[in-house]
Amino acid sequence: MAKKPMKMRRRRPQQEMNGFLPLLFIALVALALFSWQVSVLFLVGLAPSLVLGVTGKGVHKTEKLQCVGFSNIAGIIPFAMQVWSRPRDFSMIVSDPINLVAMFGSAAIGYALIYVGPMVAAQILQVMAQDKLKTIAQQRQALLELWGPEVLGDPGSEGDEPAWAQGKRGGRT
Amino acid sequence: MSGDIAPVPDGQSAFGERYVVDFSAPLTEFTTFGGDAFKASDKERPGKEIYALIHHPTIPMRNDIYRSLKARPVSNVVNPVDRGLMTVDQGGRRQRLVTIFERPSGGALFGPDGRVNPRVNTNRLRQSVVLSALKAVAALHKRGFTHRSILPTNMYFVSNDSEEVCLGECYSAPPGYKQPFALETLEVALAHETARGNGDASCDFYQLGAALQSLYFGEQLWRGRDRDSMLMARINQGSFWALGGGRDIPGALGTLVRGLMADELEERWSAEDVLDWFEGVGKPKRTSMRAWSMNRPTNFKGVAYVDRRLLADAFARDPREAANFLKSLDFPAWVQLSFRDEILTERLEQVLKVSTDSGLGGTRPDDYKMVTRVCMFMHPTGPIHYKGYSLILDGLPSMVTDAFARDDRDLLGIILEILDERFLNALGEICSERNPKFLGQVREVRPFIPLAGSKQLGRGMERVLYGLNPILPCISQRFSNVWIGSIKQMMRALDRLSATGGAKNILLDRHVAAFCAAHGTDLEREFNKLAAAQNDPARFNSLSAEFFGMLQRRFKLESLPHLTEKLVEGLTPAVKGLRNKKRRERVQQLLEKVKKGGDISKLTSEVNMVRIQAEDAREFAQARSAIMKLEKEKTRFSRKVLPTDTDARNRGLRGSRWVAFAAMALIGFMTFFPGG
Repeated sequence: MAKKPMKMRRRRPQQEMNGFLPLLFIALVALALFSWQVSVLFLVGLAPSLVLGVTGKGVHKTEKLQCVGFSNIAGIIPFAMQVWSRPRDFSMIVSDPINLVAMFGSAAIGYALIYVGPMVAAQILQVMAQDKLKTIAQQRQALLELWGPEVLGDPGSEGDEPAWAQGKRGGRT
Repeated sequence: MSGDIAPVPDGQSAFGERYVVDFSAPLTEFTTFGGDAFKASDKERPGKEIYALIHHPTIPMRNDIYRSLKARPVSNVVNPVDRGLMTVDQGGRRQRLVTIFERPSGGALFGPDGRVNPRVNTNRLRQSVVLSALKAVAALHKRGFTHRSILPTNMYFVSNDSEEVCLGECYSAPPGYKQPFALETLEVALAHETARGNGDASCDFYQLGAALQSLYFGEQLWRGRDRDSMLMARINQGSFWALGGGRDIPGALGTLVRGLMADELEERWSAEDVLDWFEGVGKPKRTSMRAWSMNRPTNFKGVAYVDRRLLADAFARDPREAANFLKSLDFPAWVQLSFRDEILTERLEQVLKVSTDSGLGGTRPDDYKMVTRVCMFMHPTGPIHYKGYSLILDGLPSMVTDAFARDDRDLLGIILEILDERFLNALGEICSERNPKFLGQVREVRPFIPLAGSKQLGRGMERVLYGLNPILPCISQRFSNVWIGSIKQMMRALDRLSATGGAKNILLDRHVAAFCAAHGTDLEREFNKLAAAQNDPARFNSLSAEFFGMLQRRFKLESLPHLTEKLVEGLTPAVKGLRNKKRRERVQQLLEKVKKGGDISKLTSEVNMVRIQAEDAREFAQARSAIMKLEKEKTRFSRKVLPTDTDARNRGLRGSRWVAFAAMALIGFMTFFPGG
């Protein structure tokens, strides 16, 4: 009986465990025990982060969510302080569109950071690569001076006496 | 080519200064196969009668006899006085070993011109010659030596007015070397003239008998006799009658000579018998023809043989035909019918391994060995007969030397085939009952059996040559003008050879390598390394320098500037082959420094080329891999970094996250601590 060809079991890529959202949820519930208004404010203000947490995918999901989440929280904190000290202003703060723009705008800044971060990193890495290239060239030159062009593995220069020792100019430097 | 031959050292040695050899006065009566004799004088003792023997390098001497006679001279023997290396002018300047002997001035009993000394007569033979020879032979036998050169031409009156006779020297050539067939006992005479072995005391007594017979008749009885007819006559009539041509010697002398020349060992007279005879108290022994005869004749090549020794000899002369003959026989039945006194046991039959004709025709390689085994069965006290050659196993050293001297590759190949442990053990098993000495002889050659067939440097037949003949000088063509008896002498000769531009790849010379291996101890590993590096000149030269350095250190040799220079020159390709520029310059400077000193051991201790080469190769490989790594990195870093690159993206996002976190922490801090 011919065996069925064994199918390679495709392993699901382990989902990056995103602890951010559960942690946030637990924090909001805990907060609600002291002030449900502040908790609701966070729930409303963190809407962009929650959307990203639910819809986001890809290898860098965690970094993106954390980036947007931290920015978003930074935008909510001042309003949360107001609600904490004067809970009666809760409805006024939540219904003010300017406040909402400020809270959601901070999330947008987080998105902007996601876009700009790799570009800045690429620029920095480029500068570092230039420095590294200089070092490599120096090391290579030192090895060439010590061992001659044979060390490059050029078959034409192999012989009893290296070409550079015979006063010839090496084919490769 | 002259540059490849080691030059003779300048000046004369202390030995050469002391003794003056007159090359215009050759002494043919003292010349032997081992050397040429000349008149000589001792500057320190001008009146002493001496002669000098210029040794031939290709004939091994009997060194133990020299040492014994030099230390304690034996009366009635020509004793050696001194020996040493001397530069001689004989067809060009050459360095040769010269031995100085006492010179008996009374003349040879049988001159080289074929005439008997007029002083020889029956009375003198019976009275002084026999007693003198007996004294000499007995003294030698007492020391464990045989003379084996008791020829009428090698017996001398001590002086013109003396009745005393002395035997000529017996140390310059191997025992029985190229002696006439008729003057050797039947046991050893059947062997090749260069391979008759040490023999025993009875061989000397036989020779004495034969010499007395020749002197009595005043004829060179051994001359002009065909070997085969002589053998037939000796076996059928007895050696005494065969050599004398049927003539008897009357009286007491005849009794003596017949007793000495008895062909059967048990019947041959010994020293005691001769003494008894001399004193007239002994009963004369009767000689008989002991039966070596077969119960019925065997026809081989149209001749009916009755004597098994003759049949063995006939087989030995034509082994191919003998193989066919044996294969066509029912061997066990033939043995039963022809040798009724022999019991062919199952074991012996297995050892003899006489195969029947397979019908394929032709002679197989093992057929020759089969013939040898059967010959040994028929004549167990005789020599080994193989492929037309016959040898007594302890005569192998001189036979190998002779083969090398004549560059006889066929004979060397045959000896190589004989040096087969299983074959020799089988022969031993066949003959051990009647020839117990054979197994001892096999033991002597056994250490050389594994070396003989090897093609490696320091091994092979050359190693067998120097191993079996420790006294033999190195007979390499490069040393044809000099005498190389030790590694010290070889190193000095190499130094002189280097000065003239020779000595290149000297260790590739198989004779030099074998000589070093035989005369040095624990050199196997060095030769294995040299053999492995034969195809790598740079490594070979490094190892050669190491080898010579070790020899110079071990033998505490003085400075050898020319050889050192040559070895340094030999190292040049190795130095050029070093890839590390700094190392190359440093090694070159060291070599230049050592070259001036002439100390090879320093050359190897300060500049260990083998280690340096290995280090250089290892570091070069490391540098190669480092360069490749650098090339890879260069390619990687030369590329433009894009935000979409994994690395840039990872680092960028991680950076953004930290920025966002920092902003959050800052705003939180400012919110909770507005005044702070």
